Amino acid sequence: MMDFQDFEAKIKSQAKQWLESGEVKFVIGYEKSHDSLIARPVFIHDAKDVDKLYWGPDCISNLTLYLVDEMKKKPKRGEEPFTHAVGIVVKPCDSKTIVELIKENMVPRERVKIIGVATENSINPDKLEAAIKDIPPGKRGGIRFIDDGNKNYIIKYDGGELKVPQEELEADKCKVCITHKPVIHDILVGESNEPFVPDEFEDVKKLEEMTEDQRWNYWKEHLSKCVRCYACRDVCPLCYCEECVFDKEKPFSWNEKSVQLRENTFYHMVRAMHLAGRCVDCGECDRVCPMGIPIREINRFLIKRAKERCKVFSGINVEDKPMFGSYDIDDPGEEIW
Amino acid sequence: MTEISKTDSEWEPKIIGFLCNWCSYTGADLAGTSRLQYPPNIRIIKVMCSGRVNPQFILKAFQEGADGVLVSGCHPGDCHYIEGNYHAKRKLTLTTDLMEFMGVDPKRFQVSWVSASEGKKFAEVVIKFTAQIKELGPQNKLTGGDV
Repeated sequence: MMDFQDFEAKIKSQAKQWLESGEVKFVIGYEKSHDSLIARPVFIHDAKDVDKLYWGPDCISNLTLYLVDEMKKKPKRGEEPFTHAVGIVVKPCDSKTIVELIKENMVPRERVKIIGVATENSINPDKLEAAIKDIPPGKRGGIRFIDDGNKNYIIKYDGGELKVPQEELEADKCKVCITHKPVIHDILVGESNEPFVPDEFEDVKKLEEMTEDQRWNYWKEHLSKCVRCYACRDVCPLCYCEECVFDKEKPFSWNEKSVQLRENTFYHMVRAMHLAGRCVDCGECDRVCPMGIPIREINRFLIKRAKERCKVFSGINVEDKPMFGSYDIDDPGEEIW
Repeated sequence: MTEISKTDSEWEPKIIGFLCNWCSYTGADLAGTSRLQYPPNIRIIKVMCSGRVNPQFILKAFQEGADGVLVSGCHPGDCHYIEGNYHAKRKLTLTTDLMEFMGVDPKRFQVSWVSASEGKKFAEVVIKFTAQIKELGPQNKLTGGDV
């Protein structure tokens, strides 16, 4: 059973301690907003604001995105380099992102203070919206979740409560979660002693079993929907290039801006290759896609192949070598002439 | 330009070859100076190392109408830059996998190791690869022709 109120209190007291001692410049966490269904990011700069922090299964977004933004800031000429640390609240899946960022030297370990929350699952916003359709729209903003201990959520809203099985709301990524405990943390909130559960990649295997033309038709159907809003790129904490290849126009543009199948395919294949062996399957790209393209399946396929071919598994150990920054003499290559 | 169909006997495949400056390009040169015959379907682009070949070069070539793409570099251990071709191996084998997953025939993309003294091997690779692409026919998935 998860006591969300208890977690919230622990997060608040830790954030308060760090802010008061000046160990961190600010804390990135979640707050409950009055108008949004799910919790939104909040930046706490002052110890007196820590009561804004919230914890619940509707804390979905991967906050490491904002950590990367902070680490990318450069001092003005003549100023000392930045050394301040940032506090951040992470779920187990987001903690894997931090491991990957440390591996790539994007985030120095000493500049991040991690409040890791051992959580079992987060919810899917679409499923939540369907489940609470009976609650009047004006009263959805302040909903709170309570775990009743029998795999149900009690959703409390202004003027009543609702009981929904956890399984009905669970996000797809949580079904293949490998660990319920953050892989890296300074402070652990909650407890989980479950061992790592290996991912079996059932969804990817299903696609791999199809014939080539079936797969092409599957992707053709999905990728022709893409409107190239680039939300999947913008939300990805590992897509942190200063200048993205898809924005580049000089000396020439790699990818035309028009929405055509050929450009969409190129975009999605190149984006996936840039994340090959790095993606930690936090599922943000899938969540933000307005057209419902199963972007995660491409990423998960490359996670699987990187594991099989190159023995690289992202987001577990900071000591591991990055996928494309290293090589192994014994990498397989039977198909090479 | 008129559309060319698969049944057209006039159809000749377009193959883009990314060859490394130090081994394969010199190997191709040797094939030429040794007067070895190989199909003229391959259009060669010289790169400094097979590790320079970014997966997006390959996908762009397909998008612009290539029927096959060949990347060739030094044998493992012989790289002029010591380890460029090991990096290439990781990247390019994964690109092949991704093409397969997206439903594009991975046989259209080939990696080979050809040293500067292997003019004969280069000619053989091009002959074999051209025959393979001829069998597969025109590539129209990534060009957007198959809608």
